[in-house]
Amino acid sequence: MDYVAAATNNLAYVGAVEKLVGLVVPPRASFIRTILAELQRISSHLLWLATHAIDIGAMTPFFYCFRERELILDLFEEYCGARLTLNCMRPGGLPFDLPVGWEDRCREFVSMFPEKIAEYEGLLTENRIWKKRTVGIGVLSPEQALDYGVTGPMLRASGIGLDLRKATPYEAYPEVEFEVPVYHNGDTYDRYLVRMKEMYEAARIVVQCLDKLPEGPIMAKRPRVLKAQKDSETYHAIEGPKGEIGFYITGDGTPNPDRCHVRPPSFMNLQVLPELCKGHLIADLVAILGTTDIVLGEVDR
Amino acid sequence: MLQALTESPVFEYVLVPAIKISLLLFAGVLPLITYLVLAERKILGFIQVRLGPNRVGPWGLLQPIADVMKLMVKEDILPERAIKWAFILAPCLVVGPAFVIFAVIPFGPPAAEAGSSFNWFVTDINVGVLFVVAMATIGVYGLLLGGWASNSKFSLLGGLRSAAQMISYEVPQGFAIVGPLILAESMSMVDIVEAQRTAGYWFIFPQFLAFFIYAVAGVAESNRNPFDLPEAESELVAGFHTEYSGMRFALFFLGEYANMIVISAVAVTLFLGGWLRPFPNVEALAFLDFGFLNSPGLVGLLWFSLKIFVFLFVYIWFRGTFPRYRFDQLMDLGWKWLIPLSLFNVFMTGLVKILR
Amino acid sequence: MAIVNRFLDKFMLLDLFAGLGITFKNMWKKKVTVQYPEERWEPAHRFRGMFRLDEDRCIKCTLCARDCPIDIVYIDWHQELNPATEKKVKVLDRFDIDVQRCMFCGLCEEACPTDPKSIWLTTKTYELATYERWTNLYVDMDELQEWHTRPDYTDREVL
Repeated sequence: MDYVAAATNNLAYVGAVEKLVGLVVPPRASFIRTILAELQRISSHLLWLATHAIDIGAMTPFFYCFRERELILDLFEEYCGARLTLNCMRPGGLPFDLPVGWEDRCREFVSMFPEKIAEYEGLLTENRIWKKRTVGIGVLSPEQALDYGVTGPMLRASGIGLDLRKATPYEAYPEVEFEVPVYHNGDTYDRYLVRMKEMYEAARIVVQCLDKLPEGPIMAKRPRVLKAQKDSETYHAIEGPKGEIGFYITGDGTPNPDRCHVRPPSFMNLQVLPELCKGHLIADLVAILGTTDIVLGEVDR
Repeated sequence: MLQALTESPVFEYVLVPAIKISLLLFAGVLPLITYLVLAERKILGFIQVRLGPNRVGPWGLLQPIADVMKLMVKEDILPERAIKWAFILAPCLVVGPAFVIFAVIPFGPPAAEAGSSFNWFVTDINVGVLFVVAMATIGVYGLLLGGWASNSKFSLLGGLRSAAQMISYEVPQGFAIVGPLILAESMSMVDIVEAQRTAGYWFIFPQFLAFFIYAVAGVAESNRNPFDLPEAESELVAGFHTEYSGMRFALFFLGEYANMIVISAVAVTLFLGGWLRPFPNVEALAFLDFGFLNSPGLVGLLWFSLKIFVFLFVYIWFRGTFPRYRFDQLMDLGWKWLIPLSLFNVFMTGLVKILR
Repeated sequence: MAIVNRFLDKFMLLDLFAGLGITFKNMWKKKVTVQYPEERWEPAHRFRGMFRLDEDRCIKCTLCARDCPIDIVYIDWHQELNPATEKKVKVLDRFDIDVQRCMFCGLCEEACPTDPKSIWLTTKTYELATYERWTNLYVDMDELQEWHTRPDYTDREVL
């Protein structure tokens, strides 16, 4: 499973269970989950940028990105006790409420973050060496993307503006305003631009959620042991940082699910690799592999 | 007897330079190279918002000693099917020429100017620049031999690429050097610096384009970022020095850093005025001559070292900032951009010289 | 005008100099390194570290063992008659945790019904590396209780 973006993984599973059993999440829990998911999106994109840049040869964005990622992981640690193996959501809401002062620290982080993205962009976006390595490399046409089931930033860089946060809104996304970046060339440079823009937008979403955070309970009224009805099934997908992550769960009347299948974004995105490599040199393979943003934990499960 | 010895030509032309270069290499260049490795790690660390090595000795100052000792006691692996004589000869061919070039680089003023009987350089041949370029070219053999002798596909490819990169950047480097040659009307390194003194400004000012081309070609010559594809880990394992370990690898490593220092030293001599202070004929800046030290030779050495350190800092700065060029883009840059630009520079310099 | 702009863009290398400027500025910022053995990074309050058990508070309901997703909590108890109060009490025989496979998820802590909890993970110990697995990573009842007084591993393991 996706160990880099654990909160969105949690969110997809918990959302699927809630859909199956029929629980309604209280609004405060919904907003906090959105904040956690967007912070996780920023953290996942930072990791992607760090590893992609260092594979292409730029050593310093790695350290700068990890410096910011540490701050996000600290926020997560304060909230739920772990940095990567978060266990931060439960079916029906959240296990604990925000600790004292977390909102202020989160606000502080999000207010200083956009200038850090500007720093990474200053190092890479206009850099002629970076452009030479990434423009025109690994071009994915929209038809190919739809054929292979590619989702996420890879799809949006090829011109198709499908984002599940806008298409099938969930959690607190209907209440916040944000843009979905779409570019049309479908090459590595565009995917880089899409992800950078998504980081800006994620920071915006977090600020709006913090402003609109309601008071209230954080866990729905639910029985201690959840049971699904016999022969019920559901598929719930959310927009993770790497693409559409979905859970298909079928119930059979007992507390254990009959079947639980994951639709991993990295697995689908990885299928496109042979198509992307056609006509390029072996030295480009490193750039192409970096741009698909895969997590092998998801690919192998 | 001693009198006869000190006045014989053997003393002046053989013994004194031999002693000078030995001292220079062992007491000057070797420590400089090992501490350059430490400086690179520390400066890269600072650029990357972290401390470099700081455990071994205060600020990591004993780290190079630890590194050298580690490399010396490592097992010396000789691959079974490797071509033995080439495998052993390759590191020497990389390191040797780099060290030999130090013989013609002037670290300070000649005896007449310094007012003492001590020349602040090992020797001054009147085709100094040609010697430098020739020795740099011999260094390519070492890489080729190293790559081929290891009998491994990655090493062979890495060696071929590295050699191709080096010879294709020797051409713009050579042409860039022609600029100061025309201005100074002599090939001797000391004469070029003297010409900068008589002109009153460093040659970087009229020859800015040549300096830029020389700097870029120099970075490519020593296989450094952004041109370090032949030895980058994510691209080609480790290139031509994959199969080397222990002291042989240390020699390659030393050779690369010695190459860096040599290229910086030549750039400083040709473009940045060697041992001269900025604007050497302007009276207002005479305090920069540090007259109170009463030794123009030492002051010259100080300025020379300062300039080399700045150049090396820029090398390390480049490594920390830029991504890598792909190999074909690298060759594109060398052949399609730098050579025409350097030819243009030579043409313009010649034209201006004739018209004056 | 556009031609001049393109010329400047291509030849003046402004983008490269901007990158150099950014790295130069970062050289003078505060370094983020924590010098480990001398300075230790203190985790947050809710950090899920190593366990501690409090036998007195434990009501031996075994909910923690049941909720553990990988079944690494081993509990044995038996009932005894307490002569003083004439009541049957549960006595804990064995409460072992196999830390080798523990993922520190905290579900056992959440399941514990007592208040304050009898098993909790916020001891802020994350330095659990040892030289031998079976002696140190299979933790029994007494060790679990004494966790805050456990010495540093270097004192015990490396002799």
